[in-house]
Amino acid sequence: MKHILIVDDSITMRRMVKVSLRSLENTAFEEAGNGLEALERLALTAVDLMILDLNMPDMHGLEVLKFVRKHQTFHNLPVIVLTTRGDEINRTTTIAAGASFYLTKPFEPKMLAEQVQQLLIS
Amino acid sequence: MPTEGTLSEAFLTEFIDDLYAEYAERLEFVQRDLLALETLIGQPLSDKSLLDALLRHLHTLKGLSGTINLKPAEELAHHLESYLRAVRQEQVELSVTDLEILITGAKELEQIITAHRTQQALPEINSTLNALALALSGTTVAVSPKPLGDTVITPPPDLTASEQARFNTAVQQGFSWWQVEFIPSSNLAERGINVNMVRQRLEQLGRIIQSKPLIPPEGPGFVFEFLVATPPVNTDFSEWQLEGMTYTPYAATLPPLLESKPDELTILPATGTPTTHPNQTAEVPDEIPLILNNLALGPATNLVRVDMARLDELMRLIGELVTSRARQENVVKQLKLLLPSAQWRLLQETNLVLERQLRALREGVMRVRMVPMGTAFERMKFVVRDLIRNTQKQVKLELQGQETEIDKLVVDRMMDPLLHLIRNAVSHGIETPTERLACGKSAEGTIRLQAYTAGEAVIVEVEDDGQGIAIEQVIAQARSQQLLAEDATLQTRELLELLCRPGFTTQSCPDLNSGRGIGMDVVKNTVSLLGGFLTLDTKAEQGTKFTIQLPLTLAIVDALIVAAGEQHFAVPQLSIREVIEVEMTAVTQLENNEIIAHRSEILMLVHLTQVFGIPVTPSRKKFYVLVVGGNSGVGIVVERLLGKHEIVVQPLNDSLVQVPGIAGATELGNGKIVLILDVAQLGHPSSLARRGKGELTLRKVS
Repeated sequence: MKHILIVDDSITMRRMVKVSLRSLENTAFEEAGNGLEALERLALTAVDLMILDLNMPDMHGLEVLKFVRKHQTFHNLPVIVLTTRGDEINRTTTIAAGASFYLTKPFEPKMLAEQVQQLLIS
Repeated sequence: MPTEGTLSEAFLTEFIDDLYAEYAERLEFVQRDLLALETLIGQPLSDKSLLDALLRHLHTLKGLSGTINLKPAEELAHHLESYLRAVRQEQVELSVTDLEILITGAKELEQIITAHRTQQALPEINSTLNALALALSGTTVAVSPKPLGDTVITPPPDLTASEQARFNTAVQQGFSWWQVEFIPSSNLAERGINVNMVRQRLEQLGRIIQSKPLIPPEGPGFVFEFLVATPPVNTDFSEWQLEGMTYTPYAATLPPLLESKPDELTILPATGTPTTHPNQTAEVPDEIPLILNNLALGPATNLVRVDMARLDELMRLIGELVTSRARQENVVKQLKLLLPSAQWRLLQETNLVLERQLRALREGVMRVRMVPMGTAFERMKFVVRDLIRNTQKQVKLELQGQETEIDKLVVDRMMDPLLHLIRNAVSHGIETPTERLACGKSAEGTIRLQAYTAGEAVIVEVEDDGQGIAIEQVIAQARSQQLLAEDATLQTRELLELLCRPGFTTQSCPDLNSGRGIGMDVVKNTVSLLGGFLTLDTKAEQGTKFTIQLPLTLAIVDALIVAAGEQHFAVPQLSIREVIEVEMTAVTQLENNEIIAHRSEILMLVHLTQVFGIPVTPSRKKFYVLVVGGNSGVGIVVERLLGKHEIVVQPLNDSLVQVPGIAGATELGNGKIVLILDVAQLGHPSSLARRGKGELTLRKVS
């Protein structure tokens, strides 16, 4: 069973990601609504992949990402950054901070599912 | 396959309702926060948390708009966000005019999403977009750093600008400083103690200035560290030791070394007491006296979002239960003669317990459906503000009883009527400051919006202290429209009746804000559809008060079962004020009406037998009159009272069986179907004029 952590402060977006990934077999979802909660989930459950929103209260997604990369346990965790189109933070910054893949909302559900699958296999 | 950036419809429909709900919720926050922003105009921008919240909501709204490919909303949200971001970065100073533009923008955002949901044409937003762009190009304000004051508390080196601002405010207020560390574990998580809950607790105690994760030197997880400022009363965290938290007073004057190079991973040296860890003995420093109030909390607030349809289904099931139980009660009654009395009593007892439990269950589910009136009220602030913008009027909106709870469906339906009443009060009720001062009132008018519970009903009052309704004008207008005889006078309830006629208006020149006489009929119809009453009280020069009585819930009500001829009817108990027994001799014939005197009031009698064309049983000496609530002056004549029942209201949706005066149908314990009277409609004599058609259809039903 693969565990996917979905981090977004919008409940609709979390739901949407889950619906998009419904076709994947043997996966379970964890959710977090802010950065600190996301780190807590990471520490407490064996997460195989994280889907991360950037613009969130308290702790920006980019901070979460940088932090995860610094941690010895999680520095290899696949992280897909999913952010609103037209955000000032661009693909390059995000990839440089350690994102495995970068996708803008609104996203193509199939594309997300394919990426998740690929990252989970590798 | 859909092209990139657009989503297939089937995919969208899965969560579109969620999306609309979240959209509405966030818009509400945005509107509220924008209003709160007004107080900050011209003030130094010390606390940016309000702006941060606004930015976040707008950002999500932008994202949500993009998801459903709603370009204008996306663009508008983006522009609003850009402007506020500039304010946040102190590049632009917020002005009154700019705030107006923002508020208009938020309103248009709401219009766009509503139009999208109802598949109407989208509103025009270009002028707002231009105005926002123009506002953004405005003057740049120099940033002036504020002095910290003479304090010994030094901020930690890695504060962001907004954290720094919060820090400064707390320092000025003389807050105490704490550093709280939380180590999450599965054990704690099982007990509901997680980082969100810790944060909530801390927020109850004081202000969180900074929250950040740390990587512990050893071990796989994370540690969370919070810098907290609490009001200068004594605070004690000692009980939290068991819950993975450690605390130290923070009074750091940091070595200059650290100030030069901030690093996220620096663990702040907390001077004074050493950090205590949960696995060590808890050392409570002497200077922290014990007072502990709200710390022994259970898990944090647990909110669940539930689809209304599921609750409706639950309510429907309970409705079926109510019917089944009524049927069982019937059987129990029949068994009384057949069973030995001891056994029968046992059966009866169980039956009664069942009734009580069922009622509790029903009330429980009903409570789940209840929402506070407050959300609807809050929006009215926005409406008032918007309305007075283009007038010289000064209006204050007073809200009372926001916590009063009512069925979600009722509050949603009441939104438009409330809007109309508030609009009317602002445009027609409240006078201009000059007029007000001339009649000895304060320049600022007051509109009071109040809600309270009265038994099984909720009362909503909309009251203004304006000029009152110009009765002469209404009479003149009514005469010119031939709605009123030349010599007739007008009672308050007839006045309301007139005002609520579709198309009736006294406005010679309707303004933009409140329309051309559409409105009051909408108010009245909605209220009576919900099974409520609307009453009016107006005094020249002193103001107008509308009182709306609404049922707490719609699905299951207590009702009287009455008989007229051979036909039985259910009458919602809430809609009748009292039941009186009347002798035939007490009735006076007046023109075509039968009237009786009751409690210094004249009641006009309405015979159900006549209204619905039911054959009359041989005349009796006495009959019963159900006095209709909401001072309508009407009494409904029935021949017999058959008892009181809890009934499940089934609306009659089929237009073939919709009859004026009938609100729905219900099944009684004996399996018999009875029709539910629409008392509000029967209480208005004008509605009875349409009875001809009803007669025919009713026979088909019964």
